[in-house]
Amino acid sequence: MKRRVVLKVNGEDYDVEIEPNRLLLQALREDVGLTGTKEGCSIGVCGACSVVVDGRLVSSCLTLAVSCQGKEITTIEGLAKDGKLHPVQQAFLEYGGFQCGICTPGQIIAAKALLDENPKPSEEEVKEWMSGNLCRCTGYYKILESVMAVVNNKVSPDFQLKRERQAAKIQSVGVYKAVSKTN
Amino acid sequence: MAKAENFSVVGRRVQRVEGYEKVTGEARYIADIVLPKMLIGRILRSPYPHARILRIDTGKAERLRGVRAVVTAEDTIKKPWGAFFADQYPLSVGKVRYVGEEVAAVAALDRDTAEEALDLIDIEWEELPAVFDAEEAMKEGAPLVHEDKERNIAMAIDVERGDIEKAFAESDLIVEETFQSMPQWHCAIETIGSVAEYSPGGKYTIYMNTQTLFNARYRIAAALGVRETDVRIIQSAVGGGFGGKSCDDNNALVAAILARKAGKPVKIINTREEEFLAGSRPRVFMKIDVKMGFKKDGRIRAKQTRVIADNGAYSAKAPAIMGVAALRHDTCYKYTDVKTQAYLVYTNKVPTGAFRGFGNPSAEWAVEQAIDKAAHELGIDPLEIARMNAAEPGYVSPHGNRVISCELKQCIDMAGKMMDWKNKRANRQANTGLGLACTVHVSGKRHFGDYDGSSATIKINEDGKALILSGEGEAGQGCFTTMCAIAAEELGVPIEDVEISQADTDLTTFCLGAFASRLTYISGNAVRDAASKVKQQLFEQAAEMLEANPEDLLSHDGKIFVKGAEHKALTVGDVARARLFRNGGAPIVASGMFDADSVLQDSTRYGNESGAYNYGCQAAEVEVDRDTGQVRILQYVCASDCGTVIYPIGAEGQVEGAVAQGIGYALIEGLRFEDGRPVNPNFSDYRIPSMRDMPPLKHAFADSYEPTGPFGAKGLGELGMDPTAAVISNAIFDAVGVRIKTLPITPEKVLRALKEKNLEKS
Repeated sequence: MKRRVVLKVNGEDYDVEIEPNRLLLQALREDVGLTGTKEGCSIGVCGACSVVVDGRLVSSCLTLAVSCQGKEITTIEGLAKDGKLHPVQQAFLEYGGFQCGICTPGQIIAAKALLDENPKPSEEEVKEWMSGNLCRCTGYYKILESVMAVVNNKVSPDFQLKRERQAAKIQSVGVYKAVSKTN
Repeated sequence: MAKAENFSVVGRRVQRVEGYEKVTGEARYIADIVLPKMLIGRILRSPYPHARILRIDTGKAERLRGVRAVVTAEDTIKKPWGAFFADQYPLSVGKVRYVGEEVAAVAALDRDTAEEALDLIDIEWEELPAVFDAEEAMKEGAPLVHEDKERNIAMAIDVERGDIEKAFAESDLIVEETFQSMPQWHCAIETIGSVAEYSPGGKYTIYMNTQTLFNARYRIAAALGVRETDVRIIQSAVGGGFGGKSCDDNNALVAAILARKAGKPVKIINTREEEFLAGSRPRVFMKIDVKMGFKKDGRIRAKQTRVIADNGAYSAKAPAIMGVAALRHDTCYKYTDVKTQAYLVYTNKVPTGAFRGFGNPSAEWAVEQAIDKAAHELGIDPLEIARMNAAEPGYVSPHGNRVISCELKQCIDMAGKMMDWKNKRANRQANTGLGLACTVHVSGKRHFGDYDGSSATIKINEDGKALILSGEGEAGQGCFTTMCAIAAEELGVPIEDVEISQADTDLTTFCLGAFASRLTYISGNAVRDAASKVKQQLFEQAAEMLEANPEDLLSHDGKIFVKGAEHKALTVGDVARARLFRNGGAPIVASGMFDADSVLQDSTRYGNESGAYNYGCQAAEVEVDRDTGQVRILQYVCASDCGTVIYPIGAEGQVEGAVAQGIGYALIEGLRFEDGRPVNPNFSDYRIPSMRDMPPLKHAFADSYEPTGPFGAKGLGELGMDPTAAVISNAIFDAVGVRIKTLPITPEKVLRALKEKNLEKS
């Protein structure tokens, strides 16, 4: 039997009629129409479906939609405000914290949830927290770099839309100039 | 030699062209595509590794409320298809050959109904004896996976160059070992999926997350029995490919067959379990016997390998992959006398196929360990043995591969320097060790017909922005940004003034797609050619407007001007509009092309695989816990020769991601098979590396320039994961004196090897 539920997503109310076993992931993607939240493993391991519910990071593939009635749900679509990207989104763009982009909404939501709770995490804390979000493209180095850039206020303040010109830095292709990532 | 510092766009840390869509969740992946009246398709898969289908009754399923179509082989032309050997059907004909094979499918109004309908399909099976091990399968009397393939051998290679017996006789040291590699799944976070529609006029339109659109079109058309033009493939955003989305599976075909029967669009998205069982074709697992002869000073004198490669039930790209495993490494070092015998063998397991690295990671897992073993036995530093044997510019491999640019020695030196190799070797800590390995990869591989080219069209819009039309597609690796950077550099415009179209087989010229690390080099050259022709048209028009000769014009930052008269510049938009809006006007548009100067291998496997060869050296410092067998990577370093770096953030990302996959392959990834079925095919049992698994990494690009590449660039994508497993195993040997010969290197294996070693001692 379908039930009427009000889902409050990114500050807007959506009336949906759903089966009690409907997952929040499906409700967001198919009933509300916000497809930024992705399905990766369906068993709560990969983090691609991460959303924030009442301030807590959850796997929407393991959460029943009906249990979210009346709660504040934040998805990737809710981060940019008035055409301005969230600092975590800006950092991912500037530092190349993504490649194929399928895990990226989950990574960004997870990083935002961490920084909301702890704005100055150590690199170790970031690694521990972000290890719930799998990525097969990046090897995580640039994801870590992106999150730490937000922590250390290294996101360019004027860094905005893709149309805006960047002050390009010349990449060294010289010998022995290693691009060093410490861990 | 052009220097990176002279470029305006190439080599700069530009932003990814489709980045905004990806960080906001707006990018449209295959699962996000919804068409009006779209149905959901689900596939009934074989529960048996080998069985005859005696009868299929779909009546009950068809009658279920909400079901719109049920299909079996009877709805197909029963024609087999495949990348190299046509040996698999869209839906099983007569028998199944592995657990997970597509037998029937349902399209329904929703997923639950489709799944319920699958349960109502009644099949009578006759189980057949099955064979799961490639060596068993080669024995006389083993069950035949395909009746016409004697001893289950799909293909064999037997090649000798030079005089191998004489070379071994002249060797001072001979090492011999057997190594086993394991299947590795791509584990793109997005599974394979498609949305197919069929118009009664006879045209299929299929949205796919494939990385090779035109190859997909060719194969799908062949299996459906229609002309290529009757199939249109449109690429969605692709959530990771790594070779797994090169259309060697049946997902899109089944969707197309259902769409035709139902008369409505049908979407099929693989579940994660399906992806493991029958989606992306995992890395071919191989058993490799390697025998190598060395002179006392460390020079390689002879190399002989015997490869047994597990094809699984169907061939996909394994024939080419085994060829690479048998022959490619002979381009890495200066070999003279080599011999290889390789067998590709059918078994009743998941078909294996293309995964980043192709045959290289398996081959290097074996050969680079044999070389390391020789270094230790000869008492020579492994870094020195690599250096003295390293290929150089002008080297021609025994199989005909012609090397133009090659900075392998530089890579070895860089890796040594980043690792502080000499110092660490001299001041060894207990239970820590150093290992390294080298690799060679191609920039495109000539093996689909006698063609390894690309083409692209560029048009200049009225506002002055350039649009690249290319059918190569973006699989997530960043080639769109690379292509835009190349076009911008050639045109003399900012990268923000270049866009690239979604790949679509109806709108672009033929492109082979993303494989063999080919896009930067091959497609980059085609894009550059198109841009250069477009620039010529712009200059001809601008010359008229500026009353100058086209040869005297320059373009920079979106402006066209006479050399030395920048103050009187026209914008690209001014010129494009002037060319169009006049009597006899025309748009500014041109197509460019490139085909690599390579040579298709002949029947003896002699040829020149690629137009350019990329090289790399990696090293690891590990610490082994003798009580638990745990291996910790203290430092990893990676030096890559990819020619000019076009798009640095992308290039760095390719190396970092490849190393992560290599570390996964080396240490953690694998599934147990039980009666041919991978057990627990999911992300909690098949672990891939997470952020905390990644070691400290240093990497660098060699100072290198490939004269045949666009602005000196060559391939990179696969290089980073080729040698990684061997690097780590070599470091473990250096640390504790045990050599692990089967992947993955689990703590249990290390512990067992340490115990055995202690027993030997006492």
